Amino acid sequence: MIRCTFALAALTLALGACDAAPSTAPAPAPTPTDAGPAPVQAVPVTSIPGHETLTQDATRKEGPRLMPAETYIRSYLALFGNLAPLEVQTRARGADGSALFDAWNDYLAALGLPDYRVDQPRGNQTNALMMATFERLGVALCDRAVERDLRGTLPLAQRVVFAFDGTPANLTETDFAPRFDVLHRTFLAYPARLAQTDRTRRFFALYQGTVARHRATGAPASRFTPEQAGWATVCYGLLRHPEFHAY
Amino acid sequence: MVRRRSVLASASLAMACAALTPPALAERTLQEYRYFRALSIDLQGRIPSRAEVARFEDPTFDVGQWVDERLRAPAWAERMRTLYMDLLRLEITTAVQFNPQSIVLRRQQILGPDGTPEYVYYRFNQRRSRPETDGDFCLTAAESGVTIDTTGAQRGTPTRVTAATLAARTVLVRPWWLYRDYRAAAPADRFNASAWATRFPNFAPITQLQQEPDGTTVTAAVRVCREEASTAATGTVYFANRPRPATPPFGRIINVPAESAWARTNAGMPLACSGDVAFRSSADCGCGPGLERCMPGANSGTNPPAFTFPTRAPLGPDDPLDQASQAQDDWNLFWWSQEAQRFIEHMVSDDRDFRDVLTARDTWVNGPLATFYKHHAAASCCSASAITLGYTQPEGLFDPARVPSALLPHDTATWTRVADRGPNASGLLTMPAFLVKYGSRRARAHVLYNAFLCRDFVAENVQLAPSTEPDLMRRPGCAACHATLEPLAAYFTRVAENDWTWLPAARFPVMNPMCAGATAAAMSATCRAFYDPAFSSASMGMLRSAYGSAANADAGPIGAARAITQSPEFAACAAENVASAFLGRSLGVDDAPLTSGLSQTFSAGGYRMRALVRAVVLSDAYRNANNLDSDTWRQGASP
Amino acid sequence: MTDTSRRRFLKVLAGATAAGAATQFPLEALADPPDGANEFFVFIHAAGAWDVMLGLDPRNERRGLIEPPNTDVLDAASLDQWTDAPLDADSQTFRPVRPSGSNITFGPAIGELAALYDRLTVVNGIAVNTVSHPDGTVFAATGRHLAGGRSPESSIDTLIANEFGREALFPLISMNFPSWFVGPNLDRRAMPLRTGSVDTVGRSLNRSELFTSAADRDAVTALLTREARDLAARQQYPDVFNGMGLQYEGLRRMLQSNLRAVFDGAALASLYPTLVPTAAGARYRFFQSGAVNAAFAVEAMKRNVMRCVSFSIGSFDTHNTNYRNQGALQQELFAILARLVRTLDATPHPTLTGERLAAHTHVLVVSEFCRTPQINLSGGRDHYPNGSALIISPAFRSNFVYGSSDPDQLLPRPSGMFSDGMRAIAPPDLLATFLGAFGVDPRRYMRDGEIVRPLLRA
Repeated sequence: MIRCTFALAALTLALGACDAAPSTAPAPAPTPTDAGPAPVQAVPVTSIPGHETLTQDATRKEGPRLMPAETYIRSYLALFGNLAPLEVQTRARGADGSALFDAWNDYLAALGLPDYRVDQPRGNQTNALMMATFERLGVALCDRAVERDLRGTLPLAQRVVFAFDGTPANLTETDFAPRFDVLHRTFLAYPARLAQTDRTRRFFALYQGTVARHRATGAPASRFTPEQAGWATVCYGLLRHPEFHAY
Repeated sequence: MVRRRSVLASASLAMACAALTPPALAERTLQEYRYFRALSIDLQGRIPSRAEVARFEDPTFDVGQWVDERLRAPAWAERMRTLYMDLLRLEITTAVQFNPQSIVLRRQQILGPDGTPEYVYYRFNQRRSRPETDGDFCLTAAESGVTIDTTGAQRGTPTRVTAATLAARTVLVRPWWLYRDYRAAAPADRFNASAWATRFPNFAPITQLQQEPDGTTVTAAVRVCREEASTAATGTVYFANRPRPATPPFGRIINVPAESAWARTNAGMPLACSGDVAFRSSADCGCGPGLERCMPGANSGTNPPAFTFPTRAPLGPDDPLDQASQAQDDWNLFWWSQEAQRFIEHMVSDDRDFRDVLTARDTWVNGPLATFYKHHAAASCCSASAITLGYTQPEGLFDPARVPSALLPHDTATWTRVADRGPNASGLLTMPAFLVKYGSRRARAHVLYNAFLCRDFVAENVQLAPSTEPDLMRRPGCAACHATLEPLAAYFTRVAENDWTWLPAARFPVMNPMCAGATAAAMSATCRAFYDPAFSSASMGMLRSAYGSAANADAGPIGAARAITQSPEFAACAAENVASAFLGRSLGVDDAPLTSGLSQTFSAGGYRMRALVRAVVLSDAYRNANNLDSDTWRQGASP
Repeated sequence: MTDTSRRRFLKVLAGATAAGAATQFPLEALADPPDGANEFFVFIHAAGAWDVMLGLDPRNERRGLIEPPNTDVLDAASLDQWTDAPLDADSQTFRPVRPSGSNITFGPAIGELAALYDRLTVVNGIAVNTVSHPDGTVFAATGRHLAGGRSPESSIDTLIANEFGREALFPLISMNFPSWFVGPNLDRRAMPLRTGSVDTVGRSLNRSELFTSAADRDAVTALLTREARDLAARQQYPDVFNGMGLQYEGLRRMLQSNLRAVFDGAALASLYPTLVPTAAGARYRFFQSGAVNAAFAVEAMKRNVMRCVSFSIGSFDTHNTNYRNQGALQQELFAILARLVRTLDATPHPTLTGERLAAHTHVLVVSEFCRTPQINLSGGRDHYPNGSALIISPAFRSNFVYGSSDPDQLLPRPSGMFSDGMRAIAPPDLLATFLGAFGVDPRRYMRDGEIVRPLLRA
């Protein structure tokens, strides 16, 4: 990917212009002659209509890169409670017939892990299958985290994911926000208030929608309460979020 | 009542929210939070925890100090290891086999005196003084009812072997793969799956190696052919002085071994029992105490299954992602790769001069590697041609005498530094993972050029016209690349292709009058194995691959290491590789100031990766860049 | 880049431009290229570099540098089409295989595929100009050499997926094929879906219904799609997040389709027992998983859920005594191809009534280079800068061989007049021709390579 050229180029032109005389009407361009096209005259950027008060963005630009597969796995293990990979595999699978997890080897190629034995290079771009794998793994982690943190009796201080107290029925957005912020910090490592989208509100709507679906008459049976299911989907959303995988 | 409940509820909510809301802290910007998360990903190998984010929010948090602390912890070394593994790919496909007959113990099922099936371990082609079994299984068809072909397939119907025959031909041994104290007079510390999983992680013989043929009886000791059970450290050259018939005698499928002129001349000469020569030429040399010189296998094939261990360990062997039953030779292939990876990690975590990755004589070994270097590595030498040229005792790239004697095969998790492998050692360049992955001398040179100088051999689109010019440095169409590649490849002249056999100058001079011959017909077949008629004359033979540069051939891999690390591109390439990995993209001309500065930091700082990585993560490109379009940026969406 | 190579680069670029200008890619000059949206594509990489003298470019006499395949170094008994021909006192070589009516002469490894000569296009004498596995692999798949360890251009399967596969549920599934997605100008839906095997795809698509429902997860995906788009709208470099948005949508579609049987190796074997035999003695010795990949391709085409499948079969990298199996390895690859073709013959097209898949499926088989004409000291063959490829496609001229190698040294010979003169065909030309066969101007994607018209069906 091409990076950081455009803003810098604009900056170069702008700085060159900034050293020139204060804003006046630009001098007329010389008439082209047979000797070739006329040279372009530099003008101060502030003399261009609409740019008089425009702040120059001279910041350096870099696009996002995908978290390496090894980092994704280590983060996953940490979110599972700093367990060893095979321990996570066992716990994620569980003995409850849930079919939440298969084996690590089933996911490695799709996660973009290189296979040096056959010179298969690292996958450093997302694709739909990788997204499917992120969802598969995310569902397993979040569902087990709900079981461990929200259904169990683990003290708050020991909860890796849902480190907040009980969930009142009919949660309001005011109740939701600080709890969501805990999850937001857990997965995306910054406060939800700084998100560039209307994130808290969106995720609250997601939570409410899930709760409503699970409360509805005829809803499929679930091992979670509606509120637990709601938090599970919030967890899915953050663990699968573009800002989780790209940095 | 309702009011009191709502008051109480509000109070509870306030308390719950108070527990959730962090105390008033520094107002960090989103850009700062993102930077901290990136630092954690790149230096800790994971996202930051909530507690780490909370500490970051403290106004006294010092990013530089935090970076320095991370650069003194082990996690960042893993990141660097993956960076260089992406470049070098030092894992060997299981299609490559390392199963020399001298170390492979096959397992044959017979009927014991009482009719109970039993296993007998043996080596295919083992020399025995009994002509009926020399080079074959130690029990004849008459004694066991079966004969065995070269693939280990059995023919015939097993009959009971008498007790007397068993006692005469075989021995019971408590082997290393079942006993920790296999060297003791009466080994008792037997394999226990649950206990050993903690004591010796990743060391687990497959179930079939732990049981008798009935699938239930636990194996206390294994029955081995008597010759294989020999614990002697030295033997003598065996010359049977018997003719080799055109067809196999005594009802054998496999003919008796051919006797060589060398064996005739040197009959009775002492030999160290390690190495292929001793296996082929001595009836005294076996598998050593507890069969430690040999690898077990659960069938009579050429590469039988043996151990359960990870097939892949991207997080390292301490955090395996699977455990699977694998073939005997995969054990060594796995640990070779781990040696190279651990070596790279130590280069960065110990803050060493990174040039050592190619030049250093030290390494880190664990139990399996110690066993390999002590007992298995010599098995690849020496061919009949080498023996004829007088090379019978291999001179290793890793001197077996320098292998830590305290390490046993089970010590998978005990890594010991070997300060000096020997005079021929040179960083990664003389490790089996490198030499086997890049089997040809040109491949070795090519990967160094690419990974450490960031240069490619890109051929122009010229036509390759037929030519009789053997010198690729002059041949039209080839010269553009080979003018550089051949001299670089010449550094590996003295390391055999596809393995690590060292060809010492005393035995294999670059120019050898004993191997003269300007054509294939004029040069002996023995010499042709090592000398190239295309570059030889009627008076002198030239060592293969040396034509690129005789001086480089004599300099050896350490010469390649010096040439690469002393090149001005070495520092720039390291800087480029690290910056590219951390920025997640290829670098272009606009990055020249960045890479130039990093390169200077790297070289001026003694080629330390810690300083380079520190400079990268504190650089403007890494720290202050954002991905906001300018409109968004102007609206005050914070970078 | 050296001065020489810079000049060469400019010359090639000028040549390519001239060629482009000369041809202006006149679509009308290609007889009615097939509509790629109804076509399916299979790309196979014969990994490790095959010995062309045993298959597509047979040699059975000692001449120049050439030591032909013979019974001293090869396990000839395992080759169904091996017939002894005298070589010397101790060993035999083979009689070439040329079925009645065939314009193509094959080596004995061709096996079952020989009977389908009238469906085959062989390209010999490909000027590879590299003998490095990683470089040759990328060159064969993209038409460009590695630069800094990366490919500068996308691979052929990605380009075809970008052109014709964007609307497919699975535009491109890549199983260890050297697929590359390079640059900002491709649709992110065409990103290769990389996986190790068919079964692992199925496992990534498995979902438990015990805790949350498909509707719950769908709601999450919908939210994430909006998040990705909204974030991308604010970004200087939006392609990554826009791509994720597209991929979330693709995932929703994938999960809504019941594709369990497609991604199940055992199920595929039972659906296609001829292509994937499982009985003891009938199973492939080397490439059972390759056959499963081929069966997957058929099933995915039949259900119209995929546009391209690419996979790797190998390894053919026989430097030492493992060369003994080289013939058997190729025979198995060609057997899989033959059975694939027959299966496609028997399978109806999912959308074109009355049509069979075979008439709309296009297979390209490449290897990174070939093996030396000489036998080395270890009884094997090393790398050699010459190549062959195989195409099975109704868009290509069949029962036809294009290009050749010289009789003494097995090097590529000039095969046609290109914009830069008379020369041998090179990998970028082959790939450019493949694109051109479907009405795609290769210059949209490829710096190098010219359409070789004689390869195309007139």
